[in-house]
Amino acid sequence: MHDFTESLRPSQPSGPELLARERAQSNVPTEALANHLLGSDGFLSRQSKVLAVVQSEPLFNKSHQQNLSRPDRFKLALARGKLLRRLADKHGWAPEEHEMAEYLVDDVSPYMLHMGMFVTTIREQGSDEQRAYWLPQIEAWKIIGAYAQTELGHGSNVRGLELEARYDPGTREFVLHSPTLTASKWWNGALGRTANHAIVVAQLLLPDSRTSNGTLGTKYVSYGPHPFIVQVRDMETHQPFEGIVIGDIGPKYGYATMDNAYMLFNNFRIPHSAMLSRHSGVDPVTGKYTKPAESAVVYGTLTYMRSKIIQHARLVLARAVTVAVRYTAIRRQFPDRDGASNCPELPVLDYPTVQIRILPLLAIAFALHYTALAMQNIYANTRREIESGNFSSLAYMHSMSSGLKSLCTTLAADGIETCRRALGGHGFGGGSGLIQLNNDYLSKPTVEGDNWMITQQTAAYMLKKMTAALQKPNAVVADEIDGQFRASLPLILDGAGKESSYDILGSDEDLVKSFQRRATALAYNVYQARVVRKQPWTSLMTDFHKLSKAQSQSILVTKFHDALVSNVDLPAATQAVLRDLFRLFATFTLEADRYEFFTCGAASRAQLDVLPARVNELMARIRPHAVPLVDSWKIPDYLLDSALGRYDGRVYEDLFNRAHQLNPLNKVTVNPNYWEDEIVKGGEDLKDIRAKL
Amino acid sequence: MPNPPPAWVQALKPAEPQGTQLLTQERAQSNVDVDKLGELLHTKEALQRQDTILSVLKAEKVFDKSQNHTLGRTEKIQLALARGKRLQQLKKLHNWSDEDSHVANELLAEPTPYGLHSTMFLVTLREQGTPEQHKLFYERAASYQIIGCYAQTELGHGSNVRGLETTATWDPEDKTFVIHSPSLTASKWWIGSLGRTANHAVVMAQLFIAGKNYGPHPFVVQIRDLETHQPLENVYVGDIGPKFGYNTMDNGFLLFNKVKIPHVNMLARFAQVDKVTNKYLRPASPSLVYGTMTWVRSNIVLQAGGVLARGVTIAIRYCAVRRQFQDRDAKASAEENQVLNYKMVQIRLLPLLAAMYALHFTGRGMMRLYQENQERMKAASQADQEKRGAGPEQLRAGSDLLADLHATSCGLKALASTTAGEGLEVCRRACGGHGYSSYSGIGPWYSDYLPTLTWEGDNFMLTQQVARYLLKSARAVLAGKGTANDTSRILQAYLDRRDKGASFDILSNDGDIVAAFAWRTAHLTFEALKYRDVEKRSWNSLLVNFWRLSTALSQYIIVKNFYEAVTSPELTSTLDPQTAGLLRSLFRLYALHTLEREASEFFSSAAVTVRQIGLTQASEVMKLLDEVRPHAVRLVDAWKIPDWQLDSSLGRYDGDVYPDLFRRASQENPVNDLVFDPYPWNDNVLKNIPPRSKL
Repeated sequence: MHDFTESLRPSQPSGPELLARERAQSNVPTEALANHLLGSDGFLSRQSKVLAVVQSEPLFNKSHQQNLSRPDRFKLALARGKLLRRLADKHGWAPEEHEMAEYLVDDVSPYMLHMGMFVTTIREQGSDEQRAYWLPQIEAWKIIGAYAQTELGHGSNVRGLELEARYDPGTREFVLHSPTLTASKWWNGALGRTANHAIVVAQLLLPDSRTSNGTLGTKYVSYGPHPFIVQVRDMETHQPFEGIVIGDIGPKYGYATMDNAYMLFNNFRIPHSAMLSRHSGVDPVTGKYTKPAESAVVYGTLTYMRSKIIQHARLVLARAVTVAVRYTAIRRQFPDRDGASNCPELPVLDYPTVQIRILPLLAIAFALHYTALAMQNIYANTRREIESGNFSSLAYMHSMSSGLKSLCTTLAADGIETCRRALGGHGFGGGSGLIQLNNDYLSKPTVEGDNWMITQQTAAYMLKKMTAALQKPNAVVADEIDGQFRASLPLILDGAGKESSYDILGSDEDLVKSFQRRATALAYNVYQARVVRKQPWTSLMTDFHKLSKAQSQSILVTKFHDALVSNVDLPAATQAVLRDLFRLFATFTLEADRYEFFTCGAASRAQLDVLPARVNELMARIRPHAVPLVDSWKIPDYLLDSALGRYDGRVYEDLFNRAHQLNPLNKVTVNPNYWEDEIVKGGEDLKDIRAKL
Repeated sequence: MPNPPPAWVQALKPAEPQGTQLLTQERAQSNVDVDKLGELLHTKEALQRQDTILSVLKAEKVFDKSQNHTLGRTEKIQLALARGKRLQQLKKLHNWSDEDSHVANELLAEPTPYGLHSTMFLVTLREQGTPEQHKLFYERAASYQIIGCYAQTELGHGSNVRGLETTATWDPEDKTFVIHSPSLTASKWWIGSLGRTANHAVVMAQLFIAGKNYGPHPFVVQIRDLETHQPLENVYVGDIGPKFGYNTMDNGFLLFNKVKIPHVNMLARFAQVDKVTNKYLRPASPSLVYGTMTWVRSNIVLQAGGVLARGVTIAIRYCAVRRQFQDRDAKASAEENQVLNYKMVQIRLLPLLAAMYALHFTGRGMMRLYQENQERMKAASQADQEKRGAGPEQLRAGSDLLADLHATSCGLKALASTTAGEGLEVCRRACGGHGYSSYSGIGPWYSDYLPTLTWEGDNFMLTQQVARYLLKSARAVLAGKGTANDTSRILQAYLDRRDKGASFDILSNDGDIVAAFAWRTAHLTFEALKYRDVEKRSWNSLLVNFWRLSTALSQYIIVKNFYEAVTSPELTSTLDPQTAGLLRSLFRLYALHTLEREASEFFSSAAVTVRQIGLTQASEVMKLLDEVRPHAVRLVDAWKIPDWQLDSSLGRYDGDVYPDLFRRASQENPVNDLVFDPYPWNDNVLKNIPPRSKL
């Protein structure tokens, strides 16, 4: 299309010019910092290798996808999923490289569960024999799998699941049956249209050994939820088997590319070998149950998923912050009120009201990063211990992962939206690059354990630990919580009413101690309420939530600080900037709950009043480095898919191009007169549209 | 659509107890008079109107909402235009008033492509046009002979109207204006109804006469041919593409390449160019129009209550139906608990329940003040024109009040729309996993509402206007020149008592709660004034303080309006004492929960003591949650939002949540028409040919 708009340029100064100035004014070495953050495990080299392949395939072009209907969007995602696997074969990609490609294409893939929960569950909960039988088929994608746990009426409370797996010793089969409508599996990704196999979690029902011989009228006893591998669709026709009803659950806030499912069983029989039996089992002949060594072992997979979620959260947030920082460095609005009358409009990133929304999020991305690294190590250690039959750290691991999952996904989800709003009107547009991110990511606060509900797990664990610490103050320190209580508890016990002496404005170590003190004090308060005063559990839930948040914040602050103390691979000036980011994260977090810190003896009365000014001061110090700091996350433009967040700053040209050249709606000419039924000139009319509804 | 499920599936019922049964129990345990309360909130007449219009809409197939969330952008907006046309046709058919049409749009609950025509375009023509222009433009627009929009914001410029780049240059030779876009960032952008629908636009452009810039002014410009609906020459116009929400609206871009328009196309009620002398004239003061913004913002506050009510209705009903986990302290055999019994659910939802009432009463209060003031100003200006000499106090009082209203409406708009927008997301998350489904009815509603947080003035930017006004008022009060309005009053009260201290009894005296909110606001105002005037800090460095200050003032106004409403004779004489008492509890819950969240500021300003905050947190708020909990369902029922408007499986009035979710998923979901080929080495994505798509 040729028209007079081709010769138009944005008004001056241009975006590229402004970003160049931003990059020139800071000495943060982008490459070195990027290597420090993402270089060590090969992330960056993997990213550039895979990016080159992905970007050259037209199917991965993102420019039209926002306009598609749900069925079309979904078909596109499946086509992309197929192509990615073929490319993986063609280029001999390792699993991490395939994962990288999925990350860059940024569809929630219909194969996601196949490559994630499905294979992981077989690997972790399948017996050696089951692993040997299933894993090769899964890895070759001869079968496509999903993971079916939650039900229409039951989410976080796994024990409440209704689907039954009743063992029939006569035929040596389990009978899967949905006794009610609420027993329908629900939300199970990849199952709605894609998978032909699924891990199905069902209540294991075994004949009561005292009364039964397997005949009709036998009494059954429930042994709780267990996983089974079930073929659910015919391999030829791809239709569900007789006795199984499956479908997609319909449109959602995001995840348009995922076929989340419902699934019901009508006395559907599966062989004895379907029950995953690494940790527990049923004797095929007697129907007798073999207990797992540790009943919490089934939570292992969930814990793994949570640690992945936290790793993901840092990149998601970094992505949103990258867009927000770059665009607010370019966008100008209103001249400075104290400036000369003809002074130019200021970049909005110079406004403290913009800084206070974006810069703490930049700091949070770093905090999440260092915590994710620490979590990864803990998970690897814990896995090794479980494999060798030692389950002692699982409880600690599980409780930490619950609270952290809750806090980190809340921070990232809210952070995306905060960034989006900081972009002003254009943040609402498809060119912001934050729409699909917001839509897809907002599932996170309620999946894999609702962010409010699971804080009870962290609190319960701390309550147990607090009780023990008070009973046996000199017991061996078994985990980090013991250590934290050991250090802070004596201060709380004899410090009542004393003013806090932590130098939170001058000492980084004291900042860390202040967070640990506050979390410990809240744990002590909860202990008093629950154990001493015997208050009902339900009435303390909001306190549990506060405690879990405080403990998780303390972990983030501690891990961030630990990482800085041990980092020597960066120039001193850059380390100083990272320290400021640490301080901003800690001080901003503290400031938001400063009254609570005060009442916990973790901050003094005088400090309360100066904290807001301290936050401002730290933001002013970080502001000049903001653009290079986000550049260091190395989020490719292809992934950002954002006119506002482009590396080169050509914001307005890109926005205009998307509207003008890439928008299919502009090919439609409508008839606006209400008394004429015609909707599209020479095309559909009102009656056609009505008839099709 | 997919085939119906087999008989064994159709025979399944949800596990006991049924949602309907649970909601019946909920309604039985409270005696709140839902109808009385509903009439108090909305008036009997409005509720009847809602019923009448609803029955008309439900009978029309084009308004069937079942496919709203699966369509692509292009199909979605065509359907929206079809709906917009049908609404206009129905208006004519049934002789609907504007109010009736408004209700119909509310019930439909999505924008139509006529949205900006029927609001901003018509309002601007009416308010800023001369009688001649009314004949030429307004009358044709009102009968939809021409379709228009309001084109102000540009690609590079939003809230700062002075920064607009589009120019309107007066040509004294041929007595025309030349409308021109000098750069790409001058492109009009975000303009609702412009992208595909409108054939006219009110364009805000910088007026240039003989090289001098007179600032932004409104011009009527025809942009599309009335026959072919194609853009006119040298006009470049289109839709800006898919968005977070509002996808049924064709927000547009618009560029001009030296387009000439006649002299009469400049809307000339408040400013014009003399055709003969080429001089710029200002025939009337726009101060009454200045009030329009205030009215629009007060309306946003009132609306925010209703917007939030929709999310809270869904979340409270669903959380009364949804059960999860046994009570830890209960016997092992106990049933799972309704999640609404959990404090961690209550603490999220019940303060929002209180907030929706608070916003509603505040919006009402603001609009009443606004109307009273408009009448006073009108009377005063008439008196002025008749030269009978209005008393200066009379005029002053009116404009003082208007200034107060204008400033407070900025802050309230920011706080109210943020409360509603963020509240919806809290409601969505409180619904757990199912909240993420479009069938929850919250997500799409939230997406469509979010732009309210950035339009009519970005919520953060607006707070500066509030601060500027508060600082000005504080300076006046210090100089002994305070006026009669409420802002001056609370600042003066603070100064009078500052040395003696506050000593408010917030736990047993509700009036003292209001006073504590006023105190904290005044304290923050004088603190900010000290930074600015004594310490000479830069304006820019204080923006965060200003934002907090604006929030404090707005929270005070809401608390005050809510308090006045629950103690008003109108309310206490209409409602039975128990319901009236319950609304009083809602007031306390809103106020004390807010106070608890902002504890640090209340404490630092010495409005309350550590002990008081401790008691508020540990017992008072918890007690209020217990008081409100049994009545929660009836308190949302009273809002009278029809199921058809909610469009939510989770929030259905009858509580039949799970069968409805299942029905929609299995019967109204076109994805289930697709049979996939899941293997990467087969090129086919589908194994079947699905039925032709909707449009």
